[in-house]
Amino acid sequence: MIPGKYRSVSGRAANNVNCGLHLVIQTSSLPEKNKVEFKLSKDTSSFPGRLLQHDLERNYSSRQGDGRVLSPSPGSKSSCISTTTNVTELCGLEMKTATSSLSAFGDSSIQTPSKSRIRQGCHSAGPNVSGDHVNLVSSSMPSFPILQRSSEEKILYSDRLTLERQKLTVCPIIDGEEHLRLLNFQHNFITRIQNISNLQRLIFLDLYDNQIEEISGLSTLRSLRVLLLGKNRIRKISNLENLKSLDVLDLHGNQITKIENVSHLCDLRVLNLARNLLSHVDNLNGLDSLTELNLRHNQISFVRDVDNLPCLQRLFLSFNNISSFENVSCLADSSSLSDITFDGNPIAQESWYKHTILQNMMQLRQLDMKRVTEEERRMASVVAKKEEEKKRESHKQSLLKEKKRLTINNVARKWDLQQNRVANIPTNQDRKDPDSPSQDPCPVNGSTISAFPEETGPLDSGLISALQGLSVTDTHLVEVDGDTLSLYGSGALESLDRNWSVQTAGMVTTVSFTFIEFDEIVQVLPKLKIKFPNSLHLKFKETNLVTLQQFNALAQLRRIDQLTIDPQGNPVVNFTLWKYYVLFRLSHFSMQKINGTEVTQNDMIMAERLFGILAHVASSELPQYRMISILGDARKKQFQYLLEPKGKKPGIISEENNDSKRLVGENTNRATLNYTTRDFYNEKLEEVKEKKKFCKMYIEDLVKEATEINMKNEALQKLWPQMFIELVRDAVIEIRNKNSYMKLCLQQITDQK
Amino acid sequence: MLSPERLALPDYEYLAQRHVLTYMEDAVCQLLENKEDISQYGIARFFTEYFNSVCQGTHILFREFSFIQATPHNRASFLRAFWRCFRTVGKNGDLLTMKEYHCLLQLLCPDFPLELTQKAARIVLMDDATDCLMSFSDFLFAFQIQFYYSEFLESVAAIYQDLLSGKNPNTVIVPTSSSGQHRQRPALGEASMLEGVEASLFYQCLENLCDRHKYSCPPPALVKEVLSNVQRLTFYGFLVALSKHHGINQALGALPDKGDLMHDPAMDEELERLLVQVPGLVNSVTASSEASCLPSRTPSRVASPWRPLHHSRKVDVESDGSTEETDESET
Repeated sequence: MIPGKYRSVSGRAANNVNCGLHLVIQTSSLPEKNKVEFKLSKDTSSFPGRLLQHDLERNYSSRQGDGRVLSPSPGSKSSCISTTTNVTELCGLEMKTATSSLSAFGDSSIQTPSKSRIRQGCHSAGPNVSGDHVNLVSSSMPSFPILQRSSEEKILYSDRLTLERQKLTVCPIIDGEEHLRLLNFQHNFITRIQNISNLQRLIFLDLYDNQIEEISGLSTLRSLRVLLLGKNRIRKISNLENLKSLDVLDLHGNQITKIENVSHLCDLRVLNLARNLLSHVDNLNGLDSLTELNLRHNQISFVRDVDNLPCLQRLFLSFNNISSFENVSCLADSSSLSDITFDGNPIAQESWYKHTILQNMMQLRQLDMKRVTEEERRMASVVAKKEEEKKRESHKQSLLKEKKRLTINNVARKWDLQQNRVANIPTNQDRKDPDSPSQDPCPVNGSTISAFPEETGPLDSGLISALQGLSVTDTHLVEVDGDTLSLYGSGALESLDRNWSVQTAGMVTTVSFTFIEFDEIVQVLPKLKIKFPNSLHLKFKETNLVTLQQFNALAQLRRIDQLTIDPQGNPVVNFTLWKYYVLFRLSHFSMQKINGTEVTQNDMIMAERLFGILAHVASSELPQYRMISILGDARKKQFQYLLEPKGKKPGIISEENNDSKRLVGENTNRATLNYTTRDFYNEKLEEVKEKKKFCKMYIEDLVKEATEINMKNEALQKLWPQMFIELVRDAVIEIRNKNSYMKLCLQQITDQK
Repeated sequence: MLSPERLALPDYEYLAQRHVLTYMEDAVCQLLENKEDISQYGIARFFTEYFNSVCQGTHILFREFSFIQATPHNRASFLRAFWRCFRTVGKNGDLLTMKEYHCLLQLLCPDFPLELTQKAARIVLMDDATDCLMSFSDFLFAFQIQFYYSEFLESVAAIYQDLLSGKNPNTVIVPTSSSGQHRQRPALGEASMLEGVEASLFYQCLENLCDRHKYSCPPPALVKEVLSNVQRLTFYGFLVALSKHHGINQALGALPDKGDLMHDPAMDEELERLLVQVPGLVNSVTASSEASCLPSRTPSRVASPWRPLHHSRKVDVESDGSTEETDESET
């Protein structure tokens, strides 16, 4: 495709052959289509009808698939022939046909059917005239052939000489040609530049496709403007000190590893370093006129100093090793740069490539040979803005994450301490407890919460909701992430008192507890039930779940679908029976999953088989007075927790009370299996102790009284028969003498009257 | 009812000794606890219910440990309740750790102390490796000895230690103290080589202990039987022998023989009835089963809250026997 294009353009070039030596650079991408026309020199007009058009870079590179047309983008004006045409035909040679010369363009290696053949002098013993006009005569020095031209030739092409494809291994001595301005040694085997120091008027020197290893022998050519050294074996840029007016320097296809010794070339406009071994770009200071820099097909991974090139318009970095924009960030500072290529670099594969480049290089008109449209630019800026935001956000989030991590660590440390302390010095912990609530609520409700809305202001609404309620303090952490409410540390339980928005509360389906004593959790379960009615999945980690009966406490919740008990810090999970007990006790929830495992029917049956009798015994054999007492306790307990948050409307309480009653009714045969926290239980025992003491005294008194009465009674019983006998005897004795007794009786009656 | 002993003691002491006072106190205490609720149903009804439950042994369910261990009858009732409730666990063949058994105990008695469970596990495992798995029956019988005779065993442990260290704990009491000391010498020498103490000497001490011990002790005749089979024995060896002796189990009366341990047809029947409900509970919506459960229980309770328990007759027979035996062993 490319060659075709060239060819078509080259056809035009033929028509333009007599334009003189000038270079037209068109930046067609500019909407105003301004052409930058550059005359190589005024005196090119002194070769009327002679056109030397060259495009150094694309001249040769095109053959290698490297050729990138300077201006002709597909839509560009075809009038700007300048770029591609390359006439290597030089004046000294007949231009037989237009086609022949043209074919030289784009592939300069094509043999020009020049009549003048220069033979290697060393081979021919005598003046072996190869052509009509040029004689190459071996000089007195055996190694250098001497070139001589016929006088007509000299007159005809006084200022140019072409020695293409002459199999030269050395530069011939060119005698009597001091007026030469153009010299072409393309496609020879020259290893060293020499014997041309006398050509001081030389402007154009073409040594393309030779075997030169070092730049040398040019120090006298002060007027040289175009130096073409493509496809040689040069390792180092050197010895260009005197070429102050150099305009075009082509060093493509060499083995240069470093840009150096060019800072004095203040007139250099075009520098081609394509297909070298450069690993980075720097040392570009002083190249004040450089407009085009070709660095294709190197191994460049970073670029510096480009911002020191005030005129640079085109920079070709295709097929290098640039992987991030940071490595080429100086490009953003170049105000003149309008055309750049990055294709074939790792960076171009990135999704952010285009908009990053466009966003950072507002001055760009063309990127990878495509015009940058306003739309693209707008898109880029939008994307860049988003990216920026995202970055800020992620930064903030990572900050939060870090903070969260630290807090969790802190809570974990406290927890560990507490676990040991609980075992050793329970009093110490008790003393600590009243302190912490007084300290903690301040940061929770004060700084953290109030600070949050401000911080989250510019963030996405989704993120706000995700982060909403995230309060980080040193002793505990509360986090709402999607549908999960995570509580770390016992202080976090207080957050349940907070006024959660209806939306958040409704969204939360998973509640996870970490580093909190289960007994403390038990106390807030009624609150949890009210505040997060949709919570279906409870997770416990490091909560000191030790006994099976602790699971009883969960029965009071409204509903649980899933239960996850992390083995860490919950020894109960080591029991073989715990799952079955949970299933049995919480059977009224018909749970779906326990610790991530689906509950099967067999599990349910097994649970019932293991613990069904317990429930049966508990329900049917428990004396009623005990039933009342146990259920009453449960009810009272719920009352107590419900009454705790002050200022509650009485209506809510009664409603909830009904609810709890209903719940209790739901699983009567298990309701008696409930759990009271250790503190509460001890409290109760303490309370009962008082009563017991009273009962003991009361019973003691009663029994003593009863035994005393009994004793008296028994004593009476013992005495009674004797007493009776005595009484009867007395009576009998009294009435033994009937007459006297009658008398006595009558006496008594009369006395009474 | 009026045994001749009754006349030997003043009434108050007699009542205290037979733990009648304990139950009376507890009854009043329970009454106080739920004054409002109970007064609705009638105080007389409450006392009837209370003493019935004491007779049936259901009064200890979910009670505090201090009450459960207060009387031998309570202890026997608790053992029986534990067996009845968790027989299925043993039937299922699960081997559990000491901690897990402790959890099961705590389901019936929330403040059951870990120490007792640990001691029982030590009887089964013969050492301190209390994390090992135990079968239900092993644990249950060991636990029975440990729990029912815990005070007795403490005294035994002290005696055993004294014997081991060469002291004769009964020097003051044993009439043939000189001979006891005389026999003590070689025992000490052997003790260093052989493990444990000499059985006959140990028995003498124990017999003595049983005589004066105010807590319940195993029947001395059975202790003698246990000790007569061996020459020497260690403390845990003694406990294991006690726990495996079916005579002592019978005397205690709370648990069936080892062979019948998994056998409880009445409860199995009940369990089958419960199991039938399970698939329905899973398949249909929970609400329906709950709804069916709700009216059947709640109204009946409201209507006749103190309806007699279904199993009263059967339990009566069993626990009456056990109570009598317990009382005998106590004397």
